[in-house]
Amino acid sequence: MASQTQGIQQLLQAEKRAAEKVAEARRRKTQRLKQAKEEAQGELEQYRRTREKEFQQQRAKVLGSQGDGIERMQQETEERVKKICSSYKENQEAVISRVIDIVCSVTPTVHINFVPSNENVVEMADETAVL
Amino acid sequence: MALSDADVKKQIKHMMAFIEQEANEKADEIDAKAEEEFNIEKGRLVQSQRLKIMEHFEKKEKQIEQQKKIQMSNLMNQARLKVLKAREDLIQDLLDEARRRLGRGSQHATQLLHHLVLQSLFQLLEPKVVLRCRKDDSKHLDKMLPDIYSIYKKKTNMDVIITIDHNNYLSPEISGGAELLTPDGKIFISNTLESRLDMMARQMMPEIRCALFGANANRKFLD
Repeated sequence: MASQTQGIQQLLQAEKRAAEKVAEARRRKTQRLKQAKEEAQGELEQYRRTREKEFQQQRAKVLGSQGDGIERMQQETEERVKKICSSYKENQEAVISRVIDIVCSVTPTVHINFVPSNENVVEMADETAVL
Repeated sequence: MALSDADVKKQIKHMMAFIEQEANEKADEIDAKAEEEFNIEKGRLVQSQRLKIMEHFEKKEKQIEQQKKIQMSNLMNQARLKVLKAREDLIQDLLDEARRRLGRGSQHATQLLHHLVLQSLFQLLEPKVVLRCRKDDSKHLDKMLPDIYSIYKKKTNMDVIITIDHNNYLSPEISGGAELLTPDGKIFISNTLESRLDMMARQMMPEIRCALFGANANRKFLD
């Protein structure tokens, strides 16, 4: 009967629409999952940028404080070198004289362990160290 | 006949509604699931990657700390070396100056030469000795030899024969003194003022440093 086919047609169409609806829902689902990845990346990128900024700030702070320390050390070194030079100037004459004195003062002495082979040795008063 | 037309139509309508409803329910279910999985997946991704980013930056920050320490340590080393080098340079200057002034010592030049030769003889204690001096000193030396011989004999009861080496004079630029060798050249004593200065400088270095720069503040034990 015509109505039977019509009925079946209607049912078939309803099935078709139903299947499409479900398929549509499934498509939306895949889409949503893709969105998840994209949104995640977006958030991460922002987090990374914030963190990078923090890092750069920290870095600038650390290196900045180091600059002060370096300057201070250089100044200290300069002062120390200056002190050494002035101390040297004060004392150099005295030291040079003393060195030359010692070099040019010779007292020839025989070694203290040396024993001459004969008894006819004139004992002489021994001076101080051989220098 | 089972059903009337109207009944059939009604049933079909019901069935259609049922199909539609089922489809809607399924679709809703899928949507809900999608949402749930969306949240889970996004949360998971963010969490794991966020952790990695955190670790990455923490490591970089630590590296900076380390770099700073290394740099400071290097600079401190350089500074210390600079100070030490300054001291060494000054000491070298001092010794150079001393070397230049060597000629004007505290003893008279010929007397100095006399004593230096005697001292070398006492070191060698050899019967035969070759002596090298400056060309100008050889005349003085010739005159002094008898006296040297007699003092040597008195102190050691030994004889010695000194041969002045007229082929190998010492450079006229040195300030004085002599070199003595055994005739076979195996034993050699350098008793020039320059060699004495070198030896003295080495032995006296702690004293020189202390006199020039003051005692070492870091030293705890002095014995």
